[in-house]
Amino acid sequence: MRLKTRFQLAMAVAAACVLLAPAAQAVPSFSRQTGMACAACHTVFPELTHFGRVFKANGYVLDNLQQVRAVSSDRQQLLSLSQLPTLSVMMQTSYSQISKAKPDAAGGTAQNGTVEFPRQLSLFYAGRIAPHLGIFSQLTYDGKADHVSIDNTDVRFAKLIVLPHKNTLTYGLSLNNNPTVQDLWNTTPAWGYPFSHSNVAVSGTPLGPADVQIDEAFGQLAAGLTAYAFYDESLYVEFGGYRSFQPGAVAPLDSSDSSVLAGFSPYWRLAYEYDWSANALEVGTFGEDFHVYPGGGVPLSGPTSTYLDVAGDMQFQHVGERNIYTVAATYIHENMHAMPAGATNPSDNLSVAKFWASYYYRRRYGAILAWFDTSGSRDSGLYGFGCSPGQTTSSCAAHALKTSATNSPDSDGAIIEADYLPWLNVKLSAQYVLFNKYMGGTSNYDGYGRSASDNNVLQIMLWYAF
Amino acid sequence: MRNYSLKVWLHRGLLAASAAAFTLASVPSGAQGAPTPPQQAPELAIAVCGTCHGVTGNSINPMFPRLAGQHAWYIEQQLKEFRGQTRGDPYAVAFMYGMANQLSNATIVALAKYFSSQTPGPGTPHPEAIIARGRNIFEHGIPTQGVPACAACHGPQGLGSSAFPRLAGQHAKYIMKQLESFQSNMRKVAIMHGVASTLHRSQMRAVADYLESLP
Repeated sequence: MRLKTRFQLAMAVAAACVLLAPAAQAVPSFSRQTGMACAACHTVFPELTHFGRVFKANGYVLDNLQQVRAVSSDRQQLLSLSQLPTLSVMMQTSYSQISKAKPDAAGGTAQNGTVEFPRQLSLFYAGRIAPHLGIFSQLTYDGKADHVSIDNTDVRFAKLIVLPHKNTLTYGLSLNNNPTVQDLWNTTPAWGYPFSHSNVAVSGTPLGPADVQIDEAFGQLAAGLTAYAFYDESLYVEFGGYRSFQPGAVAPLDSSDSSVLAGFSPYWRLAYEYDWSANALEVGTFGEDFHVYPGGGVPLSGPTSTYLDVAGDMQFQHVGERNIYTVAATYIHENMHAMPAGATNPSDNLSVAKFWASYYYRRRYGAILAWFDTSGSRDSGLYGFGCSPGQTTSSCAAHALKTSATNSPDSDGAIIEADYLPWLNVKLSAQYVLFNKYMGGTSNYDGYGRSASDNNVLQIMLWYAF
Repeated sequence: MRNYSLKVWLHRGLLAASAAAFTLASVPSGAQGAPTPPQQAPELAIAVCGTCHGVTGNSINPMFPRLAGQHAWYIEQQLKEFRGQTRGDPYAVAFMYGMANQLSNATIVALAKYFSSQTPGPGTPHPEAIIARGRNIFEHGIPTQGVPACAACHGPQGLGSSAFPRLAGQHAKYIMKQLESFQSNMRKVAIMHGVASTLHRSQMRAVADYLESLP
C-alpha cells in the first residue's frame, strides 16, 4: 500500500493506535477493596454514579479491607497496605457482522462474521497504594493485535478537607496516559459512549474515520500530569499537560517516530454537577491544545500541526432502584492549523457531536440509543484518496474504504444497543451501528461504489469482569 | 518584563499545584484502611458517609436514609448489624456491609453521636388526602388486618425513642423499601415482620408519605 504523503502515514499510525486502544472498563478490584457492590459506583458498568465520581476524585483510596500497617513513634502512618491485592480480570468476547463484506486487496471480499475470542483480555490492579495515593492500572491483551500492552493508567494523589459550613474540598493530582481517562463523567472521550464498539468495523473509531485528537488519538501515547479540585462534590476544575510517550519507540523520541507532541499539551476541564433527589445534572467544558511534529522521517523541530480541541458536555442521570436512565451529549470542535505535510488547506476544522440516552430496568435489562454527527471542512490531503500508479481498481477499493471521493470527513448515524446483565459484572450486549452518511456520502462515498449503510455493523458481545 | 513561554508557565503551574497539594492541611480521612480514631468521626461522617447521607445527615437522595436527629442507640445498632452482616435488606448488603466492615465500636459510637446531634430538615409536603390516610394508619393501625398503631412505638409525632427509630421526615421511598424488606423478611426484625406482613402497598405508601411530611 502506497500512501500519498508522510502526513497520511502519520494519520495511519494514529489510526492504528486508535484501533488498538481498547474500550473503557470497570473493575471489580474496587468492589473487593470497598466491600461494596458495583451498584455503589456504577449504574451499569462502566457508567459512574455520583458516589463513583466522588470515589474516583478521592483517589480510589476508600478501603474497607484489613491492612498491613506501620506507624512511627509520633503516630505517622508509614504503611497501610491491603492484605489482599486488589486484582481483577476482564474479558470481552464478540461476534461482528458488517452489512457488506469489506473488499480485500486481491479483488475478493474479506470474510464477514468475525469471532474474537478474546476480543480483549485485561488484568487490573486498581485501588489504594497508600493513604492518599491510589491507582487504576490495566494491562491488556488485544486479540486483534496479538500483543500485551500497557492500557489506561491513572495514578492519583488526593486529599479532602472539610471547610466551614461542612462543605468539602477534594484536591489532587492525576498522572495518567490518556487525556480524559481521569475524568469523572461519561461524556468525555475515554469513558464516553459507545463503551465498546466492533473491532472489525470499517473504521477503528466507532463513529467514522475522521476524529478529533482528544478522542483517544494520544491514548497510551502520552503522559499527563493534571491538578484538580472538586468543591462540595459539585464544582470540578482541572488543569494540566501531556507530553508524548510512545511505548516501544526509541528513547528519546526522534524523527523516526510519528505524531510526536511538541512540549506539553495543555489540558483543561471545568464541570458543575447539581444533584437533587436521585438525579444528577452535569454541564461542563474540556479541551486540549495539541502541537504535533509529524515525524516519520522529518526532524522533531520546526513547524508543527496544531489542533485546538474545545468541547462542551452535559449529562443527566436518574439512578432509582428500579429505573435508571441517562441522557448525555458531547460536542467537540477542533481547529487545525499549519499542517506541515499532507493537508491541502492551511487550516481545517472538524466537529464531533454525540448524543445518547440509556435506560436500565433493575440494572438487568437495558437499551441505549445514540446519535452522532461528524462534520468538517473538505480536504483532499486529509480525507481524499488517489490511486497510486500501478494499483489495480480492486486494490484501490480495498484501500479507499476509509476515504472520501468528495474529500469530506462528514459521517453521521445512530447506534442501537440492547443489554442484558444476569449479574452486575456480566453484560451480554447486541449493538448495531447505522451510518446514514460516511465520509461525505450516502452512496458511493469512496468512489468505488460503497454506500454508507454498507458499513453498518452488528456486534454481539459477552463482557465480564471478576 | 520577562516573556515566558507556555511551556514554562505550564511547568510552573504544575509545580505550584503539586506543592500546594502536598502542603495544605487535610482531613486524616478514615475508611482508608486505617481505623478512624473516634475523635475524627465527624470528619469521617462528612467526608465519607456524607456523600450519600448528606454532610449533616439530611440526605437528598431518597435511596439513602436521613440520619439527622436519629437516635444514637439505633444508629449504633444498625452499624453493628452492617458490620456483622446480619441486616439483610438489599442496600444494606450492597453498600453498608463494606462501609461498616472495619469500624471499631468507639467509632460507631462517635458516628452515631454526630448524626444524632444534627438538626433534621423540614418535612416534604404531600396531598392532604394521602396524608390523612397515612396519619390514620400511623395513629390507629388497621385492626381488621391485625396491624397495630405505629405511633405506639414510634411516638405520636414519629420521633421514636431510644429503642425505636425516628421516622419523622424520613424519605418515603426509603420507608417503603424497609417495609417491603420487613414484609419479605429480608430484613429480619420479628416485630416489624409481624406489623408489615399484612400491609398492602398502597397502605405502606400512605404511611410513608405521611411520615415524610412530618418535620
